Amino acid sequence: MLATAVALTATSACGGGGDDAAGGDVLTLGYYAEAGGPADGTMRALVEEFTKANPGIKVKIETADYDEFYKRLRTQLAGGKAPDVWLSDGVLVQEFAGRNSLRDLTPYAAGLNLADYYGIDLIKKGDPQGRLFAFPQGAQSTALFYNKAIFAKAGVEPPTADWTYDDLLAAAKKLTRDTNGDGKTDIYGFRAHSPSFVESWWPMVKAFGGDVLADDGKIAIDSPQSRAAFTWMNRAMHEERAAPDPVTTEALGKSQILFPSGIVAMQFGIYARIQTAAQGKIDTGVVPLPKGPDGRRGDLANVNSWVINRAASEAKAESAWKWIKFFAGEGPQTKWMSIGEAIPINRKVAQSAAFLRPSTPPTDRKPFIDALDTADDLGLNPVWSEYTAAITKQVTGALSRRIGIDEALRTAQADAQAAIDRFRPAG
Amino acid sequence: MTQHTKEREGRREATPMPPPPDPRPAGSGHRAEKSWAVLFASPYLAHLVLLTAWPFLALTYLSFTDYDTLSSPNWIGLDNYTRLLRDEDFWNSLLNTGLFALIYVPLQTVLALVLAVGLNQRLRFMPLLRGAYFVPVVSSWVVVAYVADAVFNPRTGSANTVLGWFGIDPQTWLDSPALVIPTLALVAVWKGVGYMMVLFLAGLQSIPGELYEAAEMDGAGPVRRFWHITVPAVSGTTFLVLVLSTISVLQAFEQVYVMTGGEPGGASEVTVLYMYRQGFEYFQMGYAAAVAWVLFGITLVLTLFQLRLQRKWVHYA
Repeated sequence: MLATAVALTATSACGGGGDDAAGGDVLTLGYYAEAGGPADGTMRALVEEFTKANPGIKVKIETADYDEFYKRLRTQLAGGKAPDVWLSDGVLVQEFAGRNSLRDLTPYAAGLNLADYYGIDLIKKGDPQGRLFAFPQGAQSTALFYNKAIFAKAGVEPPTADWTYDDLLAAAKKLTRDTNGDGKTDIYGFRAHSPSFVESWWPMVKAFGGDVLADDGKIAIDSPQSRAAFTWMNRAMHEERAAPDPVTTEALGKSQILFPSGIVAMQFGIYARIQTAAQGKIDTGVVPLPKGPDGRRGDLANVNSWVINRAASEAKAESAWKWIKFFAGEGPQTKWMSIGEAIPINRKVAQSAAFLRPSTPPTDRKPFIDALDTADDLGLNPVWSEYTAAITKQVTGALSRRIGIDEALRTAQADAQAAIDRFRPAG
Repeated sequence: MTQHTKEREGRREATPMPPPPDPRPAGSGHRAEKSWAVLFASPYLAHLVLLTAWPFLALTYLSFTDYDTLSSPNWIGLDNYTRLLRDEDFWNSLLNTGLFALIYVPLQTVLALVLAVGLNQRLRFMPLLRGAYFVPVVSSWVVVAYVADAVFNPRTGSANTVLGWFGIDPQTWLDSPALVIPTLALVAVWKGVGYMMVLFLAGLQSIPGELYEAAEMDGAGPVRRFWHITVPAVSGTTFLVLVLSTISVLQAFEQVYVMTGGEPGGASEVTVLYMYRQGFEYFQMGYAAAVAWVLFGITLVLTLFQLRLQRKWVHYA
């Protein structure tokens, strides 16, 4: 299987670009979305609007669910058949840019006032030379979600922006309950562990003063600050039992359904989790992440972005840029905002009452904007998937108490740094 | 080769028949015949060259390169192979695959034979039962994963309920580094045993009934008949089942990808999943090619070993 795949990709790797593949003057646009879901429907409507406004541009859509989209994209890129423009998960931009697959958008964006958009600096930070290899499409920052009904029932005061990690743990303990007396916990105060680490250990490490990838591009996870963060998590899960441990989290039905199912009263959640909380009919409130010992919150953001295939012709790149500009405009951003999937990257839309104070929960969404203003990126570089997997493996072992925190951090540091050191930039 | 065939061949050698005269003119007809032969064989040859030989050569070449699939391969000699030797995750994946094979192959083979013997009866509901055992074979791994969760979920699964009846502490199954591979192997056996059972059923149905009748008249009970007639008579099928099971377990991917993704902490990361990650997630296709080559070598050696060993215990009728 691998032999055939490798041979086919190798045969075509050095050839062509997206140019011929796209066929004539058709702009190929790729994005990931659940087929027929609100994101897919809205994107198609916006494409229609765009082509009406630009009659000279025809658009061919290529879409699939997240996993399938990227699996296909990697093969398409190898074969010179990738879309001319595609929606990239923010954390993957540097993986493609570092391998010479993306156009530098800096000259295209020169005509825009970049201060009108969120996420520009976070994208630039990923490139050692500060180039703009992607343009924001929608942003995700993290906040503390809480279930108002569970708090009210337990008679616990809702969280505030002044909460510390001590406050979080104290409240989580009060909220943890065995409601039916069968000896098993039915409601946990907090979800501490999630495989989605932006909603779990990463902001905690930063809040406790540590870091994962330092500004010099070196791994920095093995530090006393990280140790303090993981010790806090283990205390919450294994000693106070106010949060499910990793095994229980999986057994309860995966980390992302715990809050919408009312199994946990609080979680760290990215903006998109509002959708799943709404599906569970949870009356959700959000506040900023709690403060660590030095008052840091460890805010992080991921900016999903449009990227242009380096192999696309000049004409197609121009059309692709028109699409990107169109999507960043007030009208399309307002429509995209309505599905609740991402924070608008257009500051005007993000500052509107429609976004900040909607009628559906959470009715105050300013914490996401505040977090976005001060957030750091997720340690972006060309081997992001590999080095974060190396850290996650060790961290999960430590949080499951299969290995000690010290050993986990030491190994994570070495393995993740080895992945970075192995990388040789393209060209 | 049977005695009967050998005798016939012996007779042919003793009285060789002269070849029939070729009515066609010498030369051109023979060439035409050859052309037809090549024409008929060409689809297979094309398949062999394009989809087997060429990828195999490309894989070999790429295993000596640093190849990210997006730019040209860069020759690095034996670096990928020396990295493999030091790569603990790779060795861990081989170990996981080996453990998987050690549980899966014998368990599935024995269970398939036992089921086939049990279901090789002319009873009313037998076809229905055989069909029931075959249902998991045609089910997707996603469906099987849901069924497995109903059994092995640490909080709600029936496996822990059963353990509780015997006073045994609940287990975390797929979330336990020690139990994840045995649990995966059990689920794989459950899914695959129906197929192997059908192979054994075919083998069982070719055993002449007279053998059992004669043994019964000689006073052999059901256990002796099983050991001395059934087991040797289906040894050819057993060999086939062993080879197929071994190869399939060395290629295990979809099940692990769907059910655990290699978790917890790499305890279920099998070699093909490891190779997939390197090639398709981390852009290290050259390294993945080296992993593929090593896995191919292991599969080849194991298969040759099985082939050699079969001379000692397989009886062909």
